[in-house]
Amino acid sequence: MNESHFPILSLLIFLPLLGALMTVLCGNSQLAKKIALTFASIELIAALAVVALFHSNNGDFQLLERSDWIPSLHIEFLLGIDGISVLFLPLSALLTLMAIIASWNSIQHLSRLHFALLLALEGITMGVFCALDLVLFFLFWELTLPPIFFLISLWGIGPERRGAAMKYTLFMLFGGVPLLFAILILSMNHATAVSGSIPLDLSFSLPTLLATPLPDSLQSTVFFLLLLGFAVKAPLVPFHTWLPTTAMEGATHTTALLVGLKLGIYGLLRFAMPLAPSAAVQYSWALGILGAITLIYGALIALQQTNLRRLLAYASISHVGLVIIGLSALNMQGLQGAIFQLLNFTLIASSLMLIAGFIQHRLGSTEALHLGGLAKVMPRLTAFYFLFMLASMGAPLTSGFPAELLIIIGALTAHPTLGVTALAGAVLCAAYMLSFTRRAFFGAITQTSVEHAQDLRPRELALLCVPALLILILGFMPNKVLKINQKTAEVWLNRLMADQPVVETGEEIPAP
Amino acid sequence: MDALVLLIPLAPLCAALLIGGGHLFGFLDGEESEQTTSSCANWAIALSCLLALILLGSNLLNMNAGSFSIGRWLSSEALTIRMNFITTGFNVQLAALFSVLLAIVMRFSTHYMHREAGFHRFFFVLSLFAFAILLLVLSGNAVGTLVGWETAGLCSYLLIAYSYQRSIAVTNATRVLVTNHIGDACFMIAIGLSVAWTGTVDWNEMFATLPQLPTSQITGLALCFALAAFAKSAQLPFTPWLARAMEGPTPSSAVFYGAVMIHAGVYLVCLLRPLFELSTFIMAILAVVGCMTALYSFIVGLTQTDVKSSLVYAISAQLGLMFLECGLGFWQLAKWHLCAHAIVRAYQLLSAPNLMHAVHNNPIKPVSPKIAQLRWAYTASLQRFWLDQITDWALVKPVRRLANDLCYFDDHIVDRFMGAPNPVLNQMSSLVQLEETKIGARLDNNADEFAQGSGLAGTLTQWTAAISHWFEEHFVLQGVSKGAVRYGRELGHLANKVERQILRPRYLVLFVCITLLVAF
Repeated sequence: MNESHFPILSLLIFLPLLGALMTVLCGNSQLAKKIALTFASIELIAALAVVALFHSNNGDFQLLERSDWIPSLHIEFLLGIDGISVLFLPLSALLTLMAIIASWNSIQHLSRLHFALLLALEGITMGVFCALDLVLFFLFWELTLPPIFFLISLWGIGPERRGAAMKYTLFMLFGGVPLLFAILILSMNHATAVSGSIPLDLSFSLPTLLATPLPDSLQSTVFFLLLLGFAVKAPLVPFHTWLPTTAMEGATHTTALLVGLKLGIYGLLRFAMPLAPSAAVQYSWALGILGAITLIYGALIALQQTNLRRLLAYASISHVGLVIIGLSALNMQGLQGAIFQLLNFTLIASSLMLIAGFIQHRLGSTEALHLGGLAKVMPRLTAFYFLFMLASMGAPLTSGFPAELLIIIGALTAHPTLGVTALAGAVLCAAYMLSFTRRAFFGAITQTSVEHAQDLRPRELALLCVPALLILILGFMPNKVLKINQKTAEVWLNRLMADQPVVETGEEIPAP
Repeated sequence: MDALVLLIPLAPLCAALLIGGGHLFGFLDGEESEQTTSSCANWAIALSCLLALILLGSNLLNMNAGSFSIGRWLSSEALTIRMNFITTGFNVQLAALFSVLLAIVMRFSTHYMHREAGFHRFFFVLSLFAFAILLLVLSGNAVGTLVGWETAGLCSYLLIAYSYQRSIAVTNATRVLVTNHIGDACFMIAIGLSVAWTGTVDWNEMFATLPQLPTSQITGLALCFALAAFAKSAQLPFTPWLARAMEGPTPSSAVFYGAVMIHAGVYLVCLLRPLFELSTFIMAILAVVGCMTALYSFIVGLTQTDVKSSLVYAISAQLGLMFLECGLGFWQLAKWHLCAHAIVRAYQLLSAPNLMHAVHNNPIKPVSPKIAQLRWAYTASLQRFWLDQITDWALVKPVRRLANDLCYFDDHIVDRFMGAPNPVLNQMSSLVQLEETKIGARLDNNADEFAQGSGLAGTLTQWTAAISHWFEEHFVLQGVSKGAVRYGRELGHLANKVERQILRPRYLVLFVCITLLVAF
């Protein structure tokens, strides 16, 4: 593997951070917005360039960048992508761009800091997706907290925004502890496996750790520690309560970022399952049941919601459950469907949340009681809402359909009852989405504030067109996405399903 | 010739995209562009009608190869789903029939919908529906059929909710779509099972591998497909959705529930003949459900006083007969019945608004006096055998109640257990406590002199009660409940204090730093 190329992944991480610095140092807030927008656009182009540079017929890590960071502990600055992570980069960049455009006029105070934090969060998120060294990953993982804390607490729209920010942060800090323990166990295990001494032979690099066999006694511990850490972020029931609170208290574009950046399941996919392969196979049923509980639990609670933002939060939780069911099937269809669905929900959940934000901005509420008859005054907004809603229900002609189909085929092949549960979740999803639509968008206009509401402005229309088009195109040509992650998914599955728990050494990379 | 099949569903899809996009971005709006919209939709469906007729002709002359594929839609490991079409036999005949009927209805609507507020929306949905149904009948694999199947259901939702300002229309539309979604879910299970058991979704390949499957798998697969067909063709127990669906404009009722979409279930059963014939049990179910639906619809239809609702029950009765014919093995008859029924109903529903003029002074023939005497039958028929109510009672309400309980559980137990509960709720509960204290509840005094016994047994009981009460009060209630509550409150205040301190950003940053420090 060639490592002497242009360090584009580092660029992806540091460009938004530089942009954040420039935005916050710039004197004029109008100029600051434009700087932020420019940086976010360049970042999107760079992320697309990464996709172009990516070779989909190679299942290994690519575009590796390696340099020593803390040599005494063998901690490296190791970046790389594979078929699982590559598409998250442009989507996260797109999401940040959308959040910047959506909050263009709605942020009145401290706007420079706001846009700087959005850019900083983008850079850190890119780091999470690219980092292949566990300590580096953990650093980026924890660094996402400060920007999100301030985004929620300073620009939230609810009266309890500080409490919500606190709640979010405490939950995430709690999730960080098991992650840290698991990382330490893994690296000490490496030292033991090469029969070296503890500080000298520690290793935190993911490719090396993947090649190090983990004894059976530690597999379950590591798997459950990692699962616990990522379940908080994903979020899985019962660690989900931060999301509805944040959805109600935080600004909608912040919530759109929170539901759009699927870091938790990415972590599960990237670290938890491959690093403890035999435990992952052994406990796949438990994972599936956890997914099914999350799916049905979230959907049932969403059925009772009267507020669009809360509803979307629970819908997002429910969809996480669906993805987990796909993962637990441990076959190609389930895995590829799960990755596809993750990418989808980056677009769908965040677009729906942004639409909720547009409604909130116009009417001051997303409570069904204060809405009613929106379709009459805002036909365009309703049309886009409807399209995204259909995509989240997995209706055909949208990208939700192939993803859901793959997950369900995978689940039915592996555990038929889970497949049936997933479909029950789909029926419930139609029920809660449509019954809210009925109350909020259809029917007669009852509120005077609704009568004079304005439809989508050109800025918002342009903003929503991009994800809408992507959803339709991917629904028509799902193979474009599936081809990119096919090889990686095969390698991923082979590693898990190898007869011995001992991992094959195909992923070893030459020493620098 | 086979390549023509691609254009048959594609033409209405292009029309739908043009109209939908144009309407969304404001190019097609208002009365002046009605002409553009309607001619776009009409020409598209006329083109597919023409192509379908050509395809039918070449099929009759045996010039068709039988299938046409334009490449992969999706592939994942061994599973490959192609975009392929069937170009012979019943599929082509139905495509030709349906496209002719659709062309007629589209032309009819051009004048019928003139100056309606949702003119463009109507033609967008109708074109999309034309695409869906033509894809449904022509697709060579189960996934293509499912795409058509679900899209058609969605279009029906959009047209039932056509006048969305009326909340009853939207409520009905939602109910219809959710009911249909159950059928869609069964279809999806069937697809998943056929991938798991036969390894393919292609209809012809699936039929070829079927005979090697064990009976249990055949039965399971056939049952799922049969349930999907029952839901789509409004058979028992799904029949009530059809009556709710008559809210839409007349042309859409004609094309959805009279002529085209409602027959999709029968089409599916006819298509899956090789599967159903392997399972006598499912054939019997088809026959029984069809027969019962026909009877049910006949009895309910007797008391309908509205043109459209009596047509609804006539339709479901005829569909029931078709299922009966399929179940008994008269496949050819069912196919002919389907085609003839589609034509007749399209005409009947389109002319339904005129019917009152046509039958003026021509009274309805009363039912025979023997039946007319049965009061219970009258009530049952009028109430449509309480099917909607039964569904509500058995399915909708329990789900709602469960959702309600879970909501409570989530807010009051999970959220509290996980820390940081919603402060508003706490205030609410203390207010409630205050009110209760005001009206005399002794919340802090558990002593009770209520139990008074007489006689030996009575006194003994009283003593026992007093002792157990004392025990309960001093050890269980005060030990666990009151003490725990007080202790918990103190702890809560302390936690609040700590939290308030931590809430300051500097502590937070410190916290993050400490965590990071531990890492290195």
